[in-house]
Amino acid sequence: MRYNEKELQALSRQPAEMAAELGMRGPKKGSVVKRRLVKLVVNFLFYFRTDEAEPIGALLLEHCRVAQEEPSGFSISFLEDPERKYHFECCSEEQCQEWMAALRRASYEFMRRSLIFYRNEIQKMTGKDPLEQFGISEEARFQLSSLKA
Amino acid sequence: MGFFPQWATMKLHQKSVLRFFRGYRTQAPDREGILLKKGARNTSYQRRWFILRGNLLFYLEHQADHTPLGLILLENCQVEPRLGATEPYAFTIRTPGGGGRAYKLAAENREELRAWLWALAGATWTRLAVLLRPLEAQYRELCQAAGQEPGSPPEDCGSPATPRTLFSFQELHEHFGKEIRMLQAVHRQFQEASDNGGSRSRAGGGEAGAHELLMSGN
Repeated sequence: MRYNEKELQALSRQPAEMAAELGMRGPKKGSVVKRRLVKLVVNFLFYFRTDEAEPIGALLLEHCRVAQEEPSGFSISFLEDPERKYHFECCSEEQCQEWMAALRRASYEFMRRSLIFYRNEIQKMTGKDPLEQFGISEEARFQLSSLKA
Repeated sequence: MGFFPQWATMKLHQKSVLRFFRGYRTQAPDREGILLKKGARNTSYQRRWFILRGNLLFYLEHQADHTPLGLILLENCQVEPRLGATEPYAFTIRTPGGGGRAYKLAAENREELRAWLWALAGATWTRLAVLLRPLEAQYRELCQAAGQEPGSPPEDCGSPATPRTLFSFQELHEHFGKEIRMLQAVHRQFQEASDNGGSRSRAGGGEAGAHELLMSGN
Protein backbone atom coordinates (compact mmCIF):
# COMPACT_ATOMS: atom_id res chain seq x y z
CA MET A 1 0.00 0.00 0.00
CA ARG A 2 1.49 3.32 -1.05
CA TYR A 3 1.77 6.24 1.27
CA ASN A 4 3.76 9.42 1.18
CA GLU A 5 6.52 9.13 3.72
CA LYS A 6 7.00 12.91 3.76
CA GLU A 7 3.43 13.33 4.99
CA LEU A 8 4.06 11.04 7.92
CA GLN A 9 7.38 12.68 8.65
CA ALA A 10 5.71 16.09 8.66
CA LEU A 11 3.13 14.77 11.09
CA SER A 12 5.85 13.42 13.36
CA ARG A 13 7.27 16.93 13.67
CA GLN A 14 4.06 18.38 14.99
CA PRO A 15 3.46 19.18 18.64
CA ALA A 16 3.00 15.88 20.40
CA GLU A 17 0.43 14.97 23.00
CA MET A 18 3.12 12.91 24.71
CA ALA A 19 6.82 12.50 24.02
CA ALA A 20 9.41 10.67 26.07
CA GLU A 21 12.36 8.36 25.87
CA LEU A 22 11.12 4.87 26.63
CA GLY A 23 12.42 1.38 26.33
CA MET A 24 10.81 -0.28 23.34
CA ARG A 25 10.69 -3.87 22.21
CA GLY A 26 9.05 -5.14 19.06
CA PRO A 27 6.67 -8.09 18.80
CA LYS A 28 9.12 -10.49 17.18
CA LYS A 29 10.43 -13.27 19.31
CA GLY A 30 13.87 -12.54 20.62
CA SER A 31 13.73 -8.80 20.02
CA VAL A 32 15.61 -6.71 22.54
CA VAL A 33 14.70 -3.53 24.34
CA LYS A 34 16.04 -0.39 22.70
CA ARG A 35 15.88 3.18 23.95
CA ARG A 36 13.61 5.13 21.66
CA LEU A 37 12.11 8.60 21.60
CA VAL A 38 8.41 7.84 21.44
CA LYS A 39 6.02 10.53 20.31
CA LEU A 40 2.25 10.53 20.21
CA VAL A 41 0.80 12.80 17.51
CA VAL A 42 -2.92 12.61 16.79
CA ASN A 43 -3.64 8.88 16.35
CA PHE A 44 -0.11 7.89 15.38
CA LEU A 45 2.69 6.71 17.59
CA PHE A 46 6.10 7.57 16.15
CA TYR A 47 9.37 6.27 17.41
CA PHE A 48 12.85 7.64 16.77
CA ARG A 49 16.39 6.64 17.52
CA THR A 50 17.25 8.95 20.38
CA ASP A 51 19.69 11.07 18.39
CA GLU A 52 17.79 11.29 15.13
CA ALA A 53 15.31 13.82 13.79
CA GLU A 54 13.33 11.50 11.51
CA PRO A 55 11.23 8.66 12.91
CA ILE A 56 12.13 5.09 12.10
CA GLY A 57 8.59 3.85 12.50
CA ALA A 58 4.94 4.68 13.02
CA LEU A 59 1.97 2.81 14.41
CA LEU A 60 -1.64 3.76 13.77
CA LEU A 61 -3.44 3.61 17.09
CA GLU A 62 -6.85 2.35 15.99
CA HIS A 63 -8.54 -0.86 17.18
CA CYS A 64 -5.69 -1.45 19.54
CA ARG A 65 -5.45 -2.62 23.08
CA VAL A 66 -3.22 -0.91 25.63
CA ALA A 67 -2.41 -3.12 28.60
CA GLN A 68 -0.22 -2.78 31.65
CA GLU A 69 2.87 -4.97 31.73
CA GLU A 70 4.75 -5.41 34.96
CA PRO A 71 6.71 -3.80 36.44
CA SER A 72 6.16 -0.28 35.02
CA GLY A 73 5.49 -0.80 31.37
CA PHE A 74 2.69 -1.22 28.91
CA SER A 75 2.04 -2.99 25.64
CA ILE A 76 0.13 -2.12 22.52
CA SER A 77 -1.48 -4.88 20.53
CA PHE A 78 -4.06 -4.86 17.77
CA LEU A 79 -7.42 -6.45 18.31
CA GLU A 80 -7.11 -8.99 15.54
CA ASP A 81 -3.67 -10.13 16.66
CA PRO A 82 -3.53 -9.95 20.45
CA GLU A 83 -0.36 -11.98 20.82
CA ARG A 84 1.71 -9.58 18.76
CA LYS A 85 2.66 -6.94 21.31
CA TYR A 86 4.79 -3.83 21.14
CA HIS A 87 6.32 -3.40 24.58
CA PHE A 88 7.26 -0.15 26.23
CA GLU A 89 9.14 0.42 29.47
CA CYS A 90 8.57 3.53 31.54
CA CYS A 91 10.63 4.96 34.34
CA SER A 92 7.77 5.03 36.82
CA GLU A 93 4.27 3.74 37.43
CA GLU A 94 3.01 7.29 37.09
CA GLN A 95 4.57 7.76 33.67
CA CYS A 96 3.15 4.43 32.63
CA GLN A 97 -0.40 5.35 33.65
CA GLU A 98 -0.10 8.70 31.91
CA TRP A 99 0.97 7.06 28.66
CA MET A 100 -1.69 4.38 28.79
CA ALA A 101 -4.45 6.93 29.30
CA ALA A 102 -3.12 9.14 26.50
CA LEU A 103 -2.83 6.25 24.04
CA ARG A 104 -6.39 5.11 24.69
CA ARG A 105 -7.70 8.63 24.22
CA ALA A 106 -5.78 9.07 20.98
CA SER A 107 -7.81 6.76 18.77
CA TYR A 108 -10.06 8.55 16.29
CA GLU A 109 -12.70 5.89 16.73
CA PHE A 110 -12.58 6.22 20.51
CA MET A 111 -12.96 9.98 20.22
CA ARG A 112 -15.87 9.61 17.85
CA ARG A 113 -17.63 7.14 20.17
CA SER A 114 -17.02 9.53 23.05
CA LEU A 115 -18.43 12.47 21.17
CA ILE A 116 -21.55 10.53 20.26
CA PHE A 117 -21.89 9.32 23.86
CA TYR A 118 -21.56 12.82 25.36
CA ARG A 119 -23.87 14.26 22.75
CA ASN A 120 -26.59 11.78 23.57
CA GLU A 121 -26.15 12.09 27.31
CA ILE A 122 -26.26 15.89 27.14
CA GLN A 123 -29.34 15.74 24.98
CA LYS A 124 -31.01 13.46 27.51
CA MET A 125 -30.08 15.72 30.40
CA THR A 126 -30.87 19.09 28.83
CA GLY A 127 -33.24 18.32 25.98
CA LYS A 128 -30.86 20.14 23.63
CA ASP A 129 -28.44 18.81 21.05
CA PRO A 130 -25.02 20.30 21.86
CA LEU A 131 -23.87 19.96 18.25
CA GLU A 132 -26.61 22.26 17.04
CA GLN A 133 -24.70 25.36 18.15
CA PHE A 134 -21.95 24.34 15.70
CA GLY A 135 -24.42 23.75 12.93
CA ILE A 136 -23.31 20.16 12.42
CA SER A 137 -26.04 18.09 14.00
CA GLU A 138 -26.76 16.43 10.66
CA GLU A 139 -23.19 15.38 10.02
CA ALA A 140 -23.26 11.67 9.28
CA ARG A 141 -20.07 10.84 11.13
CA PHE A 142 -21.57 11.93 14.46
CA GLN A 143 -24.82 10.00 14.32
CA LEU A 144 -25.51 7.08 16.62
CA SER A 145 -26.13 4.99 13.52
CA SER A 146 -22.52 5.48 12.43
CA LEU A 147 -21.46 3.17 15.22
CA LYS A 148 -23.32 0.25 13.72
CA ALA A 149 -22.78 -1.74 10.52
CA MET B 1 13.73 -4.10 16.53
CA GLY B 2 16.57 -5.46 14.40
CA PHE B 3 19.23 -3.70 12.44
CA PHE B 4 18.25 -0.63 10.42
CA PRO B 5 20.64 0.28 7.64
CA GLN B 6 21.28 3.98 7.08
CA TRP B 7 19.20 4.12 3.93
CA ALA B 8 16.12 2.44 5.40
CA THR B 9 12.95 4.41 4.99
CA MET B 10 10.52 4.91 7.81
CA LYS B 11 8.40 1.91 8.50
CA LEU B 12 4.69 2.43 8.74
CA HIS B 13 3.28 -0.69 10.36
CA GLN B 14 0.85 -1.45 7.61
CA LYS B 15 -1.07 -4.12 9.46
CA SER B 16 -2.34 -1.56 11.92
CA VAL B 17 -3.49 0.64 9.06
CA LEU B 18 -5.07 -2.17 7.08
CA ARG B 19 -7.07 -3.26 10.07
CA PHE B 20 -8.41 0.22 10.45
CA PHE B 21 -9.19 0.30 6.75
CA ARG B 22 -11.15 -2.92 6.94
CA GLY B 23 -13.10 -1.47 9.82
CA TYR B 24 -13.70 -4.84 11.28
CA ARG B 25 -16.69 -5.11 8.96
CA THR B 26 -18.74 -3.48 11.69
CA GLN B 27 -18.64 0.05 10.57
CA ALA B 28 -19.55 1.90 7.43
CA PRO B 29 -16.86 4.32 6.27
CA ASP B 30 -17.43 8.06 6.58
CA ARG B 31 -17.68 8.38 2.83
CA GLU B 32 -16.84 6.29 -0.19
CA GLY B 33 -17.19 6.54 -3.92
CA ILE B 34 -15.51 7.01 -7.24
CA LEU B 35 -13.09 9.83 -7.75
CA LEU B 36 -10.73 10.46 -10.61
CA LYS B 37 -7.15 10.66 -9.54
CA LYS B 38 -4.21 12.01 -11.45
CA GLY B 39 -1.20 9.73 -11.22
CA ALA B 40 2.08 10.94 -9.82
CA ARG B 41 4.01 10.17 -13.00
CA ASN B 42 1.27 9.30 -15.42
CA THR B 43 -0.67 12.53 -15.77
CA SER B 44 -3.92 11.05 -16.95
CA TYR B 45 -6.81 10.62 -14.56
CA GLN B 46 -7.55 7.14 -13.30
CA ARG B 47 -10.84 6.02 -11.83
CA ARG B 48 -10.35 4.92 -8.26
CA TRP B 49 -12.62 3.88 -5.41
CA PHE B 50 -12.01 6.15 -2.44
CA ILE B 51 -12.83 5.34 1.15
CA LEU B 52 -12.71 7.92 3.92
CA ARG B 53 -12.35 6.52 7.39
CA GLY B 54 -11.53 8.90 10.20
CA ASN B 55 -8.56 11.05 9.19
CA LEU B 56 -7.37 8.61 6.53
CA LEU B 57 -8.35 8.55 2.89
CA PHE B 58 -7.73 5.26 1.12
CA TYR B 59 -7.93 4.59 -2.59
CA LEU B 60 -8.43 1.26 -4.28
CA GLU B 61 -8.27 0.11 -7.84
CA HIS B 62 -11.64 -1.58 -7.46
CA GLN B 63 -14.35 -1.26 -4.84
CA ALA B 64 -14.08 -4.91 -3.81
CA ASP B 65 -10.30 -4.97 -3.39
CA HIS B 66 -9.08 -6.24 -0.06
CA THR B 67 -6.06 -3.96 0.08
CA PRO B 68 -5.88 -0.31 -0.89
CA LEU B 69 -3.47 0.97 -3.51
CA GLY B 70 -2.64 3.88 -1.31
CA LEU B 71 -3.33 6.10 1.62
CA ILE B 72 -3.55 9.86 2.12
CA LEU B 73 -3.21 11.22 5.61
CA LEU B 74 -5.55 14.14 6.12
CA GLU B 75 -4.07 16.13 9.00
CA ASN B 76 -3.13 19.72 8.17
CA CYS B 77 -4.05 19.31 4.54
CA GLN B 78 -5.63 21.98 2.43
CA VAL B 79 -8.53 20.82 0.36
CA GLU B 80 -9.57 23.22 -2.37
CA PRO B 81 -11.49 23.15 -5.61
CA ARG B 82 -9.39 23.56 -8.74
CA LEU B 83 -10.87 25.62 -11.56
CA GLY B 84 -9.34 25.57 -14.97
CA ALA B 85 -8.42 21.92 -14.67
CA THR B 86 -8.88 19.59 -17.62
CA GLU B 87 -11.57 17.81 -15.62
CA PRO B 88 -14.60 19.59 -14.23
CA TYR B 89 -15.36 19.17 -10.51
CA ALA B 90 -11.65 19.01 -9.82
CA PHE B 91 -10.07 19.57 -6.45
CA THR B 92 -6.69 19.28 -4.80
CA ILE B 93 -5.60 17.83 -1.48
CA ARG B 94 -2.42 19.65 -0.59
CA THR B 95 -0.39 17.84 2.02
CA PRO B 96 2.06 19.57 4.35
CA GLY B 97 5.77 18.90 4.49
CA GLY B 98 8.27 19.86 1.82
CA GLY B 99 7.96 17.15 -0.79
CA GLY B 100 4.46 16.35 0.35
CA ARG B 101 2.24 15.69 -2.58
CA ALA B 102 -0.62 17.70 -3.97
CA TYR B 103 -3.17 15.07 -4.89
CA LYS B 104 -5.19 16.07 -7.91
CA LEU B 105 -8.62 14.58 -7.87
CA ALA B 106 -11.93 15.12 -9.58
CA ALA B 107 -15.48 14.20 -8.71
CA GLU B 108 -17.98 12.98 -11.25
CA ASN B 109 -20.52 15.72 -10.71
CA ARG B 110 -21.22 18.81 -8.62
CA GLU B 111 -23.04 16.95 -5.87
CA GLU B 112 -20.16 14.57 -5.39
CA LEU B 113 -17.67 17.42 -5.38
CA ARG B 114 -19.59 19.32 -2.73
CA ALA B 115 -20.07 16.23 -0.60
CA TRP B 116 -16.42 15.21 -0.78
CA LEU B 117 -15.15 18.71 -0.01
CA TRP B 118 -17.38 18.87 3.01
CA ALA B 119 -16.45 15.37 4.20
CA LEU B 120 -12.72 15.99 3.80
CA ALA B 121 -12.85 19.37 5.53
CA GLY B 122 -14.41 17.73 8.55
CA ALA B 123 -12.21 14.66 8.67
CA THR B 124 -9.26 15.64 10.79
CA TRP B 125 -8.42 14.29 14.22
CA THR B 126 -7.70 17.83 15.32
CA ARG B 127 -11.20 18.99 14.50
CA LEU B 128 -12.70 16.04 16.34
CA ALA B 129 -10.58 16.89 19.38
CA VAL B 130 -11.75 20.51 19.27
CA LEU B 131 -15.39 19.37 19.19
CA LEU B 132 -14.97 16.73 21.85
CA ARG B 133 -13.41 18.88 24.55
CA PRO B 134 -16.35 21.20 25.27
CA LEU B 135 -18.84 18.35 25.10
CA GLU B 136 -16.89 16.34 27.61
CA ALA B 137 -16.60 19.36 29.90
CA GLN B 138 -20.29 20.11 29.59
CA TYR B 139 -21.19 16.50 30.39
CA ARG B 140 -19.04 16.48 33.50
CA GLU B 141 -20.50 19.77 34.68
CA LEU B 142 -24.01 18.45 34.18
CA CYS B 143 -23.20 15.27 36.09
CA GLN B 144 -21.67 17.25 38.90
CA ALA B 145 -24.71 19.54 39.09
CA ALA B 146 -27.00 16.52 39.15
CA GLY B 147 -24.89 14.73 41.75
CA GLN B 148 -24.42 11.94 39.26
CA GLU B 149 -21.39 9.79 38.59
CA PRO B 150 -20.17 10.48 35.02
CA GLY B 151 -20.41 7.49 32.72
CA SER B 152 -18.03 6.39 30.00
CA PRO B 153 -18.45 5.75 26.32
CA PRO B 154 -19.09 2.09 25.52
CA GLU B 155 -16.23 -0.35 24.89
CA ASP B 156 -13.22 -1.22 26.95
CA CYS B 157 -11.22 1.95 26.84
CA GLY B 158 -9.66 2.01 30.28
CA SER B 159 -10.16 5.04 32.47
CA PRO B 160 -12.34 7.92 31.32
CA ALA B 161 -10.42 10.69 29.68
CA THR B 162 -9.61 13.67 31.85
CA PRO B 163 -9.63 16.97 30.01
CA ARG B 164 -6.08 18.21 29.82
CA THR B 165 -6.87 21.71 28.72
CA LEU B 166 -9.85 23.95 29.15
CA PHE B 167 -12.14 24.50 26.24
CA SER B 168 -11.54 27.88 24.70
CA PHE B 169 -14.04 29.64 22.52
CA GLN B 170 -11.11 31.10 20.65
CA GLU B 171 -10.00 27.62 19.54
CA LEU B 172 -13.44 26.73 18.28
CA HIS B 173 -13.80 30.11 16.63
CA GLU B 174 -10.51 29.68 14.78
CA HIS B 175 -11.23 26.14 13.82
CA PHE B 176 -14.67 26.76 12.40
CA GLY B 177 -13.46 29.99 10.92
CA LYS B 178 -11.15 27.91 8.71
CA GLU B 179 -13.97 25.67 7.56
CA ILE B 180 -16.22 28.60 6.86
CA ARG B 181 -13.51 30.43 4.89
CA MET B 182 -12.86 27.31 2.86
CA LEU B 183 -16.55 26.88 2.08
CA GLN B 184 -16.84 30.56 1.22
CA ALA B 185 -13.96 30.13 -1.20
CA VAL B 186 -15.75 27.18 -2.79
CA HIS B 187 -18.92 29.21 -3.03
CA ARG B 188 -17.10 32.16 -4.63
CA GLN B 189 -15.50 29.91 -7.19
CA PHE B 190 -18.83 28.36 -8.10
CA GLN B 191 -20.21 31.88 -8.49
CA GLU B 192 -17.29 32.89 -10.71
CA ALA B 193 -17.76 29.82 -12.83
CA SER B 194 -21.40 30.64 -13.37
CA ASP B 195 -20.67 34.31 -14.06
CA ASN B 196 -18.22 33.25 -16.75
CA GLY B 197 -21.01 31.25 -18.35
CA GLY B 198 -19.32 28.02 -17.38
CA SER B 199 -20.28 25.02 -19.42
CA ARG B 200 -20.51 22.92 -16.29
CA SER B 201 -24.06 23.66 -15.19
CA ARG B 202 -26.22 20.72 -14.39
CA ALA B 203 -28.83 19.95 -16.95
CA GLY B 204 -31.85 22.03 -16.07
CA GLY B 205 -30.32 23.09 -12.79
CA GLY B 206 -28.34 26.19 -13.53
CA GLU B 207 -26.05 27.79 -10.99
CA ALA B 208 -28.64 29.07 -8.57
CA GLY B 209 -28.40 25.82 -6.69
CA ALA B 210 -24.78 26.36 -5.67
CA HIS B 211 -25.60 28.53 -2.69
CA GLU B 212 -28.27 26.14 -1.47
CA LEU B 213 -25.97 23.18 -1.89
CA LEU B 214 -23.34 24.73 0.33
CA MET B 215 -25.66 26.11 2.97
CA SER B 216 -28.04 23.21 3.34
CA GLY B 217 -26.72 21.27 6.34
CA ASN B 218 -24.56 18.37 5.33
